[in-house]
Amino acid sequence: MTALKKWSKNRYVLHELIRKKIKTQYRNSILGIFWSILNPLLNMLIMWMVFSQFFGRNDPVYPIYLLTGNILFQSLRMATDGSLSSIVDNRGLITKVKIDNYLFPLSSTLASLVNFAFSLISLLVIMLCMQFIGGYTLYGYQIVSIILMMPAFLLFEYGISLFLSAVYVFCRDIKHIYSVFLTLWTYCTPIFYQIDRIDSSSILHKILKLNPMYYFLTYFRDAMYNCSYLGMGMPSWKILGLLYLFGLISIAIGAIFYNALKKKFLLYV
Amino acid sequence: MEENNDVVLLRIKDVDMEFKIPALKFDTLKERVVNLFKRKKAPPKRLKVLENINCEIKKGESLGVIGHNGAGKSTLLKLVAGIYKPTKGEIELNGSVVLLNLGAGFDMEATAEENIYLNGAILGFSRKEMKKRFDSIIEFAELQDFVKMPLKNFSSGMISRLGFSIAIDIKPDLLLVDEVLSVGDANFQKKCIEKINNLKQQGVSFMFVSHNINQVKNLCEHTLWIENSKVTGYGPSKEICNKYIEYCNQKKI
Repeated sequence: MTALKKWSKNRYVLHELIRKKIKTQYRNSILGIFWSILNPLLNMLIMWMVFSQFFGRNDPVYPIYLLTGNILFQSLRMATDGSLSSIVDNRGLITKVKIDNYLFPLSSTLASLVNFAFSLISLLVIMLCMQFIGGYTLYGYQIVSIILMMPAFLLFEYGISLFLSAVYVFCRDIKHIYSVFLTLWTYCTPIFYQIDRIDSSSILHKILKLNPMYYFLTYFRDAMYNCSYLGMGMPSWKILGLLYLFGLISIAIGAIFYNALKKKFLLYV
Repeated sequence: MEENNDVVLLRIKDVDMEFKIPALKFDTLKERVVNLFKRKKAPPKRLKVLENINCEIKKGESLGVIGHNGAGKSTLLKLVAGIYKPTKGEIELNGSVVLLNLGAGFDMEATAEENIYLNGAILGFSRKEMKKRFDSIIEFAELQDFVKMPLKNFSSGMISRLGFSIAIDIKPDLLLVDEVLSVGDANFQKKCIEKINNLKQQGVSFMFVSHNINQVKNLCEHTLWIENSKVTGYGPSKEICNKYIEYCNQKKI
């Protein structure tokens, strides 16, 4: 089969798998995909109440700070946690038809992108509210900056997904290990706190800055509101370059593990 | 069809298939770590499923595959379908192939409708193309009332009907049929046999795994008899099938 024909076939399969993934996610739910918009908003509301009431954070941009952090991290969580068991769950397909196994984690990752797009709507709603109140304007280049970031973010997610789904075939513990790791990762990422408020000479500060998600989130926030709110213009190209580097490293590690293990999938799933 | 008769559709040459089955299967980290410190490690078990298989199918011809359970018939079909790679030897296929076994390419959680599209995509057809074929597939499978039902609620007969209907609608060059007809009821079986004969006239080849020797005799020009992972007989269906029946009768006594 020529490469082109193979790709067009894989594209059809990918399309069906993504569709299936999103459909099963919201099966028997009344609001369906709208939960992707509503969920981050409600979460933000709770966190905002907690932090403004208990910790006295009364910064007017704080809701957006929370929302951006939540949306981006939730996307990572959905993509990677959703991909983890994707190869094993599709054992019925793998053992009975000829199919490229990487399509399963890829479809889960891309399905999370669809969710991410819907969550962005909730962000847009909040921003338009703020624009209406005043002190904030949404520019076209902000959207462009976010689109520029997405390939890097997808590569990053997909690399982790490939690694997890391949290892999960042989070692089911990874599911529990990763769930603990995700909790740790959540707290190591400045979702509700600001990294700049921690003493910059401390070890903690240095460790927190090793986290790739810190840079993804910084860029995302710069693009979403800092650039216009603080009048900074386009977010930094240097960070964008760094994001692509993270994406490439992640995909390289994921691909190495996947390729080393894929030959034995059929006997273990 | 005359000029097509000599075109070789499938050639299986000196094929060996061996599975390396780990003596112990580890699912958890603890088992893995414990095993790491064990002094004596069990070597992986080598299981030879197929040995030195040779056969070919010409375009428009059909091949029956017979033998006892566990002889390696299904593995041979999976090799032809490309799910496994042979340990040794070559499989040369000049056309499209569809493997039909129970539940192949189906997601039990999804509805019949979704599964038709998923299965179609796996076989290389877009949603648009499958939409055109949808009605005739459902009609042949006689599942009009169950389009929106998840497959997990289907009986095995219904699932095999759906699989068969999709496969015959797509009309591959070679259709691998693995024991799917035996779960359908008598009426549907008759309908399938008619359809298979019809497709054969249109130049579709079949590779047919069955325990129904009469079916094999009627549908296939040649038959491959596999016993204990080796070819025991290969030739015209009548001859091989009669030998097989004789062998089975002897074994009983």
